[in-house]
Amino acid sequence: MLREMWLLFFNTFTISMTANSGYAMLGVIKNRFVDKYKWFTAEEMQDYIALAQSCPGPIAVSSTMIIGYRKLGIAGALSAVFGVILPPFFMMILVTLFYEFISTNRFVRIFITGMQAGVCAMLMDVVLGLFEGVVKMNQVFYYIMVVLCFLYVRLTKLSIFYLALICIAIAVIKTLFVKKKTEGVA
Amino acid sequence: MISVWSIFLSFLKIGLFAFGGAYAVIPLIEEQTVQNMGWMTFAEFSDLVAIDELTPGPIIINSATFIGTKLAGVPGAIAATLGCIIPGCIISLLLIYLYDKYKDIPVITEAIRVLKCMSVALIFSVLLKMFISAVLPNGFAALGDIDILALVMTVASFVVLKKTETNPLIVMLVCGAISLAISFLK
Repeated sequence: MLREMWLLFFNTFTISMTANSGYAMLGVIKNRFVDKYKWFTAEEMQDYIALAQSCPGPIAVSSTMIIGYRKLGIAGALSAVFGVILPPFFMMILVTLFYEFISTNRFVRIFITGMQAGVCAMLMDVVLGLFEGVVKMNQVFYYIMVVLCFLYVRLTKLSIFYLALICIAIAVIKTLFVKKKTEGVA
Repeated sequence: MISVWSIFLSFLKIGLFAFGGAYAVIPLIEEQTVQNMGWMTFAEFSDLVAIDELTPGPIIINSATFIGTKLAGVPGAIAATLGCIIPGCIISLLLIYLYDKYKDIPVITEAIRVLKCMSVALIFSVLLKMFISAVLPNGFAALGDIDILALVMTVASFVVLKKTETNPLIVMLVCGAISLAISFLK
């Protein structure tokens, strides 16, 4: 138990220290907890990502809370979330001290810009994995949902909160409708 | 001195309404800290956004720590960080608890499937934004300014991630190092 708490803390800590956004963390989280430790299957991980995205606040926090909770309950969730918030916390206090140097240094900027290519590649990998999940569901309905959600995000300035609510409402309607239809057939 | 309690409440509000990742939360932080509370000028806020991109860790936590430190030192940083993560922590625990208990009920299974579609769309949208900013730094108006190095690195990183078990963090750091090395050669 203590070992697993440490592993959760240590991994989320190192991931948070090196990845510069929550989305960049998702691929690394999958790499550690699915591929390396085999604590969860790829399908479970996709469910967790979908749940994490339905929560407010940083996705890094919600996704690691969920993983920690699934592994070790509340103790796991807390170890994981402390791992995530400590590095940026101390780092930003340092940054406020060296503010001038960091914001104007050319080399720091080139390095970070270069890293973006790696982040893009990793996001491609994450999206592809999630999309395979959609393909497996094997219904045109889900492809249409992906497109509609994408249009919502790109074309409206409305909060994702409403999108999550709409998605849940659609799911409820669909379940009721399909149930009726099968009952009718029987 | 701004009270630590008001910092906590402001970030609690940001944390509660921050759906959809970093790019959705930046305007929210701006509204709360620049317009509503007058804690910083817009110019200071723009600097903060640039620094967020240069430093590791989730952007919301970075901003919270930075603004908190600036307003009220370390206690301010703690108040801001806790404020912005508490709503997400509670809601993610609630969701994973419900998921564990009810995931075999058809409505919940369906809801998770539709939310997965949403998550593909959300991450794809972030990916698109990042990819365009990495490969076309001057936007679509200047298609001639395509950053070939970034494009090649993105494709190469993707192949490496897909074909091997390489840690994505290493891939990102190598991308940063290559950009830096090439900038020295120029």
